[in-house]
Order: sequence, then structure tokens, then C-alpha cells
Amino acid sequence: MNFDLEIFMHTLLHRSPPYLLEHVQLVLIPLSAAILISLPAGIILTRPGYFRFSGKVMAFFNAGQTIPPLAIIAIFFPLLGLGYGPAILALTIYALLPIARNTIAAISSVPAEVKDAARGMGMTQWEVLLKVELPLSVPTIMSGIRTSAVLTVSTAVLAALVGGKGMGAVIFAGINFFRPELILAGTILIGIMALILERLISLGEWLMTPKHLK
Amino acid sequence: MIILDQISKNFPGANRPAVDRMSLRVNQGNICVFVGPSGCGKTTILRMVNRLEEPDSGRISIDGKDIQDVNPDHLRRSIGYVIQQIGLLPHRTIEQNVSLVPELLGWSREKTRQRVMDLLTMVGLEPDEVSLKYPHQLSGGQMQRVGVARAMAADPPIMLMDEPFGAVDPIVRIRLQDEFLRLQQQFKKTICFVTHDINEAIKMGDYLVIMNQGRLVQTGTPIDVLTSPADKFVLDLLGDDRGVKILDLTRSETLMEPVNESDGFMHNGCRIQAIQPVKIALEIMMQKNADQVGVYRGDELVGMLAWNSIKEHISRISGGVRS
Repeated sequence: MNFDLEIFMHTLLHRSPPYLLEHVQLVLIPLSAAILISLPAGIILTRPGYFRFSGKVMAFFNAGQTIPPLAIIAIFFPLLGLGYGPAILALTIYALLPIARNTIAAISSVPAEVKDAARGMGMTQWEVLLKVELPLSVPTIMSGIRTSAVLTVSTAVLAALVGGKGMGAVIFAGINFFRPELILAGTILIGIMALILERLISLGEWLMTPKHLK
Repeated sequence: MIILDQISKNFPGANRPAVDRMSLRVNQGNICVFVGPSGCGKTTILRMVNRLEEPDSGRISIDGKDIQDVNPDHLRRSIGYVIQQIGLLPHRTIEQNVSLVPELLGWSREKTRQRVMDLLTMVGLEPDEVSLKYPHQLSGGQMQRVGVARAMAADPPIMLMDEPFGAVDPIVRIRLQDEFLRLQQQFKKTICFVTHDINEAIKMGDYLVIMNQGRLVQTGTPIDVLTSPADKFVLDLLGDDRGVKILDLTRSETLMEPVNESDGFMHNGCRIQAIQPVKIALEIMMQKNADQVGVYRGDELVGMLAWNSIKEHISRISGGVRS
């Protein structure tokens, strides 16, 4: 197998951008959906009435994390068939786990005496959640979102296997046609994308972290 | 005035009630100290007064009003609450922490700010120095002062204090106790105070409520409890130095004998004020190796206190107890 720099540069600069755009969608849509589902779920599971379920749910989430991404796609293949939609759904489910887990862990680690004092001062349940629990949980929740984002960027490559488009199409084409130029170009772009996303979320995390922790 | 009427509370899974049919009255302007071993239900009682816990049966009323009829959040805003772990909000500055309740009550920013500065000064902190700091930047003693300031922010007539000075070292604790007693002389709050330390209870309390296993064992003023403990449990709780504790609470004038200066009574410079505790008289006698001190009211000699009468007094009170 020889390496043709011209093909590599052509793939990197001209062939990949449309796939990259698809890939961005494959990451941002599942990630946003996962945040919208996991955050409220995590909050509900840390409310006094539901807290007893959180152990079981956490165990389920942790088990979910140990399943390899490819297996997730494979598991959902018979149920959802092939295509863009099923890929989005599978990625969403996979992205749920770190966010929900970190949300539950973060809110339950707010010191009991702080919540107790806040209640004792006359804050309502809502005020305790919005003014005490969530601000103190931001760093951990954001790092869950970061984990999910990076994970989704790499897992989304597999979407191409079920016809879900994205950078995976370029990489798998490279594998099928023995063209390392395609594989390398696709991998580099995905790596850059993961890095940029990670940096952006870290910046958001830093901006939202309460001052006393900085 | 706080009235507890036949209050009981069971926690699921416990083999006995945390609080068992307690009835009690806490008078206006008094410090009522709940004292007993851990697990005796004293903290649960406190948390029922501001409805952080709800009793299974019985009624609690504040100034004649059943607290079940008051919105719990509004109730808590009108009651100061201090806990041992303090529980300052770690992501807020000291100023923001102290303004918590005024903010919830919708005070204007200017009024709140002025109040916070006054309070910080009142509890012995330098407002300019601490107000912009975060809780983790303060020492334990400073944090506890902030905790007290926060509880007093909206000037609540009632305060609940759960081992408020328990987490600081003994020297700081004594200073905080003294300062708090001084504040109390000025503000005359109605205070429910929980401690497991009998010495703290005797020092702080106008009225003691001794509890064991969810039950009320004995109530009374510190001197009442010390001079006539109800049973062996109270006796053990009071400790082996009960007599000395009594001397600390007895004014010299109560044990003094009349004296006639023309009888040639010599007090060798041993003098004590009538309102000072007998314990101090004892200390003076030991220092000067004397058997008696002159008791003065101002500059006037009003009597004399003899070593023998102190001995007899203690023996009469504590010798005759069933033990």
C-alpha cells in the first residue's frame, strides 16, 4: 500500500467537508437531545421522593457505559433498521449515560448540611435546586457533557456502517478500497473536531463554574 | 412563647420513637437548653419547631398559633436556625450568605447591605475584611460567627441552635458562648439550644430540658436540676463535680453570715462582691490560705462567708441524694 499525498490532500480539503458537516450534525443532535433528557432525569432522580431509585438507575447507566459503541449500533439494528434516524437515536442513547451519571453524582454530592441550612433559612425546594444544588453541580455536570461529546464524536464514525453518513463514510471507504489517505484524512478531521468541541465545552464549564472554585 | 403538646415522632426502621409524647413550654426571651446523649431526640425536637421534620402526633404552637397552619417556608424565614456544621453556601460570599433571609423576604438592597454590615460587626467580625470572602477562606470560629449572623439577619424573635459551638476548639467555644450571652442580654430572643455538653447547658441555659431516649427526664433551671436531680441518669449526666457546679451558680450573699465589724472580724484583704459566685470566694480562700472572706456590696461590708458554711451547704445539698 503506497501513500499518495495528492489524494490525501484532496480528501482532506475537498472531499471531506460535506461529510464533516454531516458528522457535526451526528454529534450535536444526539448530544443536545441527550442533555435535554439526562439533565431533567438526573434532577428528578435526586429529588427526595425518587432518590431511592437513583441507585438502580445509576447501576443501569454504568452497565450501559461498558457496552462497546459498535455493539450499541448492532443492538439497535434489528429494532430500528438502517439509516440516519436510527443512527441518531443510538448515538443519543449512548450519549445519555455520562451526562445522567454525572448529574446524579454532582447533585447528590452537594453537602447535606448546606441543603439543610438552606431549607432551614426558608428557601423553597425550587430555590434550593436553582440557587444551591445546580450552581454547585455545574463543574461535574459539564464534565459529563464533555465526556459525552468526545465519546459521540468517535462513536458517530460507526453511523456510516448503518447508512447514517458522516466522516465514517470516508474512513470506511478508505478501509474498503485500501486507501490509507482516506483513513488518515478522516481520522485527523475527527480528532480536530473532538479537540475543538472539548475546548469549547471546557470554556463553557469555566465560565459557569462558581467563583469560589476557580 | 413556644408550646409543645404531646409531641411524638417515629422514624421508619427505628425500634423506639425518636421523640415520645413530649410536652414543654419555652418562655419568651429565655434560652431553653435541650441536653442529653446523642440519639435522645433533642435535634429532632428542634427540627420539628421549624418543620424540617413533622411530628407524627401532637401540636406545636408559637405565640398561640399552631405552626401547622403556617406555610413552612414562611415559618422558617421567621425563625433563626444555626447548626453545628454551619452549612454556609460555599459558592456565595459572606455578605451574600448573611443576606440570604433578607433576600428571601424581599428587603431592598440598601437595607440588606446595611443590616449585613451591622450584623457582622455585632458578631465580632470586621465587615470590610470578610464580607467579600468565601466561606472556605474563613477559620472555623469565624464561620460559626457568620452562621449566627445569618440566623439573626431578619431579626427573628425565635432562634433554633443545634450545637452551634460544637465544631470549634474549646478556647474559641468559650469566647463564642460569652459573646452570645452578651448579645442575648441585649436582644432577649426566645432560643431553643441543643447541646450534649452539660457544662455548656448549665452556662447557657435559663431553663434545662434533660432528655433520654426520646423522653423528657427533667426540666428546671440549672440550679434546680443541680440541687435536686430527678434520678440516677440526671446525676450521672451532671458529673462528679456537681457540688462545684452548684458553687458556680450560687451567689455569695446566699451563704453569708452576718458580721459585726466591731467584733474585730478580720478578712485579711479577702473580699468578694455579694453577687459573685461562691466558687470565686473559694478560689480567694485557697489563694490566701484563709478560712473566710468578707462579702461586700460595693464598698460596704455586708457579711462574711466561711469555709465551713460552704462545706455544710454542699454536703446538705448533694450528700442526701439517692445515688
